Amino acid sequence: MAVVLIAVLIVAILAGGTLLWARSRRRPDGVDSFRRQIDALSPDSRRPTIDRMKPAEPPSDDEDGAHGT
Amino acid sequence: MARDLAIDLGTANTLVYMKGRGIVLNEPSVIALNRQTGEVLATGREAWQMIGRTPGYIVAVRPLRGGAITDFEITERMIRLLLQRVGVSRFTRPKVVICVPSAITEVERRAVTDAARRAGAADANLIEQPMAAAIGADLPIDEPVGNMVIDIGGGTSETAVISLGGIVALEAVRVGSFDIDAAIQNYVRREHGIAIGERTAEEIKVAIGSADPTPDENQAEVRGRDLMTGLPKTVVLTPEEVRFAIEDVVSSMVASVIRCLSKAPPELSQDFLVRGMYLVGGGGLLRGLAERIERETQVPVRRSNVPLEAVVLGAGHVIEHYEALKGMFMGARR
Repeated sequence: MAVVLIAVLIVAILAGGTLLWARSRRRPDGVDSFRRQIDALSPDSRRPTIDRMKPAEPPSDDEDGAHGT
Repeated sequence: MARDLAIDLGTANTLVYMKGRGIVLNEPSVIALNRQTGEVLATGREAWQMIGRTPGYIVAVRPLRGGAITDFEITERMIRLLLQRVGVSRFTRPKVVICVPSAITEVERRAVTDAARRAGAADANLIEQPMAAAIGADLPIDEPVGNMVIDIGGGTSETAVISLGGIVALEAVRVGSFDIDAAIQNYVRREHGIAIGERTAEEIKVAIGSADPTPDENQAEVRGRDLMTGLPKTVVLTPEEVRFAIEDVVSSMVASVIRCLSKAPPELSQDFLVRGMYLVGGGGLLRGLAERIERETQVPVRRSNVPLEAVVLGAGHVIEHYEALKGMFMGARR
């Protein structure tokens, strides 16, 4: 009885693992991923990031580092 | 749980953006080392203040030149220290997006990602600086219109045309604001016979440097070491002299912008006349540069509101929307 249970458990784990692997291998739909990329680049989407611009240590005039990044 | 990071690893300055928090570090890309023991003595602003003023056993260096790693080991140590300063430990390994010049070679690309991984990043991906700058400068790159961005950094100048979230045309030269400093140093040495350090040259550039004549120009007193006598000496530099000294470097930057314009598809070229080009990067702060580019290209040039932070903000946005934007990483599209 225990052997059967273990065998069923192993089969279930293997099946679950195969399913997860197959899903991870599935190529994302081109239209979907392009749409998601364009949406993520929209001004509304970018607003919170740009609003978050708070330099940690604003450089003072006499201690400013080199210009250019 | 590690917070993912975006790093603008610039030749002049390094900026770090932390997911959900914003810019958490903005320091010169300089490291000071004990030459005998190899021990790190300082990084960032503290090390920058040591440039040219150290005793023989200390060396303050910039491990990046022209946007490329010149010393892999020192760069790795600098990145590790920067990551430690923003709270990364061996138990919290974040995903990292690093901005690099678009003209970077495959070997340099691998050097940057390896340095970041060894310094504690769980995963390191690269994004081109002009693309990050366009995102951070809030240009409408999600629309099918031509957006042109000019990024003048410490070691590179890059111009890109971006439309619908992708680079359409690109031009990069390994010339930046450090070359302007070097040109000033050489001019003062050649014409006035005095030696000045790179920090002094930079101060001259900031004080009276310009790419085109500007109103209210002033002269500047320059102090250095007389090459003949070895004694300290003061000379007066005029803005015309500085313009003459940096002319080759500025011309090279402008020529690169013109080459990029000529590569752009005609449908997008007409957009530039209406929308203009956007100037970002610390080198873009040079007085008269926007006017000079505008005069030579006949295309309006606008300065970004965040010239120094645009690149790291753009990379920060990619970190905030990692899954949606991971197709923008270098190598992902090719």
